[in-house]
Amino acid sequence: MMKRAAWPIASAVLLGYPLIFSTPFQQRLGALILLYAIGASAWNIVGGYAGLISVGHAVFFGCGAYGALASYQYLGLPPIGGLPIGVAASIGIAAIVGIPTLRLSGHYFSMATIAVAELVRLVVSNSEWLGGAQGLSGPPVPRTLLDLSFVSALPYYYVFLGVLAAMLALTRQMERSRIGYYLRAIHDSERAARTLGVPVSRYKLYAYMMSAALTAVAGALYAVMFGFVDPESGLGILISIKMLIMAALGGAGLLLGPLAGAVILVPLEEFSNSLLGGVGAGVTFLVYGAIIVVIARLQPGGLLRPIPGALRKRSARAKS
Amino acid sequence: MNPTGLARLLAAAAFGLAVTGAAFAQSVKVGAIYPLSGVAASVGVYAKAAIEVATDIVNNDHPELGDLPLAKGAGLTGLGGAKLEVVFADNQGTPAAGQNQAIRLITEEKVVAINGAYQSGITLTASAAAERYGIPFLTGDSVAANLTERGFKWFFRTTPIASDFARIYMEFLKDMKAKGARIDSIAIVHENTEYGTSVASVVTSTFKANGLNITQNIPYSANATDVQSQVLQLKDKKPDVLIFVSYTADAILYAKTMKSLDYKPPIMIADDAGFSDPSFVAAVGNIVQGVFNRSSWSVGAPGTKTYLVNDMYKKKSGVDLDDTTARIMQGFMVLVDAINRAGSTEPAKIQAALRATDLKPSQLIMGFKGVKFDEKGQNVLASALVIQLQNGVNYVPVWPKDQAAAEPVLVYKGW
Amino acid sequence: MSSTFIQVIASGLLLGAVYALFSSGLTLIWGMMNVINFAHGDFVMLGMYVAFVVWTVMGGGPAAAVPIAALVLASLGIVCYFVLIRHITRGPMLAQILGTFGLALLLRYSAFWYFGTSFRTLPETLVGGTLPIGPIRIESSRLLAGVVALVVTVCLHLLLTRTTLGSRMLAVAEDADAAELMGIRPDRMQAIAWGLAAAATGIAGALIANFFYVAPSVGETLAIVAFVTVSLGGFGSVPGALAAGLLIGIVEQVSAYAIGAIYKDIVVYALFVLALWLRPVGLMGRA
Repeated sequence: MMKRAAWPIASAVLLGYPLIFSTPFQQRLGALILLYAIGASAWNIVGGYAGLISVGHAVFFGCGAYGALASYQYLGLPPIGGLPIGVAASIGIAAIVGIPTLRLSGHYFSMATIAVAELVRLVVSNSEWLGGAQGLSGPPVPRTLLDLSFVSALPYYYVFLGVLAAMLALTRQMERSRIGYYLRAIHDSERAARTLGVPVSRYKLYAYMMSAALTAVAGALYAVMFGFVDPESGLGILISIKMLIMAALGGAGLLLGPLAGAVILVPLEEFSNSLLGGVGAGVTFLVYGAIIVVIARLQPGGLLRPIPGALRKRSARAKS
Repeated sequence: MNPTGLARLLAAAAFGLAVTGAAFAQSVKVGAIYPLSGVAASVGVYAKAAIEVATDIVNNDHPELGDLPLAKGAGLTGLGGAKLEVVFADNQGTPAAGQNQAIRLITEEKVVAINGAYQSGITLTASAAAERYGIPFLTGDSVAANLTERGFKWFFRTTPIASDFARIYMEFLKDMKAKGARIDSIAIVHENTEYGTSVASVVTSTFKANGLNITQNIPYSANATDVQSQVLQLKDKKPDVLIFVSYTADAILYAKTMKSLDYKPPIMIADDAGFSDPSFVAAVGNIVQGVFNRSSWSVGAPGTKTYLVNDMYKKKSGVDLDDTTARIMQGFMVLVDAINRAGSTEPAKIQAALRATDLKPSQLIMGFKGVKFDEKGQNVLASALVIQLQNGVNYVPVWPKDQAAAEPVLVYKGW
Repeated sequence: MSSTFIQVIASGLLLGAVYALFSSGLTLIWGMMNVINFAHGDFVMLGMYVAFVVWTVMGGGPAAAVPIAALVLASLGIVCYFVLIRHITRGPMLAQILGTFGLALLLRYSAFWYFGTSFRTLPETLVGGTLPIGPIRIESSRLLAGVVALVVTVCLHLLLTRTTLGSRMLAVAEDADAAELMGIRPDRMQAIAWGLAAAATGIAGALIANFFYVAPSVGETLAIVAFVTVSLGGFGSVPGALAAGLLIGIVEQVSAYAIGAIYKDIVVYALFVLALWLRPVGLMGRA
């Protein structure tokens, strides 16, 4: 019952938010929440469902962002036209990186992803073609509507909402399909899954590539909205950590976990920076750090974790 | 009516005007976006102090500061004595936060103009937001060339840029050659973020076009944990002139490593930034004696307006103004002067006033030839001079001759 | 050329010893509790500030700074263990990243708030000068750090392999429940491990401060190097961290000298990924 009511309410809240909270800053905040939720949901596929803690997803985010702005720079396309290029590049990189690293276990995998992300960041920093350290920028003044350069954040909000909805629908589909079962089995025990005949390596790679492609979408949307990317803002370790934190805070491996994490952390970051940032004593990050610590301490599985657990138990009882 | 009565009437009229003026704008809000957290926070916190001093100069009566705009009288005289209020925002060192904060300042805080944002990449995104909203954005410190090449109508820049510095170094070195110094081989060591690569590439092309040889080019990462190999590479090749383009942390490492590996070039030039940072000078100034630097700032003799401004700043921050913070302060003053001349808080009028800016050297704290913007928003009268670290921890202007306080001492002394 | 090359190798070895020094605490925790400590770099940073305070307030040199840093950091480590780490180790690995990253922000910005943003350095005179050894020159502060790195590594290794305390700690690392049945209290052992690791990290910070700058953000710079060192060496392997540190130091210096400074990290990361591909548990890690 409660679950059935939750979806229409959530949809109504998400659809109506920018109309109720209609100042430019509030609308922009909404768009940013959705953008980060897209990135964190993409990470969730490999980090949450498959339990492969990637700390290097910035590579794929960067692929999307650089793909968008490079295709403006060199082909004169509207930045969003570079989306397929960015997605293709990130799938390619995921395949190349995934084959040697996905066989690493636990923390070794995480460390390898950090190293790969840093490697790519350094290579891009030294590549004049990709703007080197100066980065790439989008059209300074919008040429056509397709440049998607708006003063108001409202169009971004609804575009991002559409993308997030599509991504969550896809993830939901995946959850229920064979790949979803396989990933959960791998997450619980890789050895057991292998014994049961799950093609572990292949499905890990699938999840990794899918996650990479969707992360590139987030990167491309970011580049369209901000019109600029440089190695630090597109490929820096902080990007990887942010995706991971949003998902972990809300509940990794849960469909709505990343969105919940973004709903809490993005406003927290924006408000604390707006209210306290001007003081210049780093208070923003003290608050931010403290809240993360408190949540990790009290709710190590993520904020949404106990709810589906309880539901599943109840439905299991109802079935038996 | 007797003369006193007339005077009274006039005084009453003036008072009435002032009151109405104050009524329509009791305070004028200007936004300032700087890195107040993250790795560049050191600069951002000093920038904040510099802007607060400039605000004090505007809001309080400072007759001792002479021609400096708005020093005399309290508040913005063109707006009926309205107080200037600065809203600071932290760009957190990311282009996204810079743009978000610009939009917040414009739409929530209703600032009439924005100043910022130190890192060129962040100035780029923040000023793009200001452009869309039609709010003037003035940077006093971001030097990337592309900022003024975007066809923006609301963007202004007071600082000299890389091509200006390159020309100064080139002319300075040629002058030193005429005095007998060897400048046949020149090495350039630069950090590889946007600042270092852009300055290094402009210096290289300017030098090449003028017949100076860059024989060694050593890029490195600014957050390096160690720079011994780079110093050893220099030690191998022994260039006549060594040019550094560095941030603070790496500049400190170079200074220490050069001493420990006992390496001194005959002439050493450092491009501002790290080598000008007060914390660099305090930490390792005593082991880089004789390094040349460029600056548009000089403290000046006791009693001069620059000396007094520096004094106010030092009381607030505990350190002297350096070229970076002084450029930031100057940029902010130019922006406020334009708001004052506009006599209005309407962005379009402020933009028009900025376009009409024509400040003389006597109205500036920097050693610019003046402030006047071209159609791209670049200050065409920006300039710099060569300074040298002599006798302890003070940079003194040494070139060009007409602005020098001391002779350039050749042969780098080190420690 | 050849004397320069000897200098490059010597610099690499010293740098590597320093890497090993500030990684030893990290590898201990990692191996003992299977926790990635994202706040490690910031523990090093605090150790550096302790040295700075000892110098500015008390006028003491490294002889005072090193033990004080070890004590201060050990207490901090134990407090962090009981307040935070103990609880998040029961959660999934993500909770550990979340918790220690939050801790990193707290430590970094507390330093930021308290000490300000300026870059600071200790005076040259504390560990004076440079030693000319044959054709090469070695900074005595780096030599001191290198020697201490070796000593700390050997001590930690002996402690883990030759003492009852060490065997108990390893027992807890192997299987906490079984150890508890044997009468070992896992909580106490893990708190001791955190204290030891933090002390080693504090010593590292206090020694590095003699030739490095001190700033609140310095931990960020050092953390990734420590991660790579520890995972290349194998989680939990103290001698592994030493070998990996020395290897990375030499690779960095040689590639920076021969190819160029901006490529040295690219070479290091590429070799690291390659090494993990060939040996998925690091150089000296256990499967």
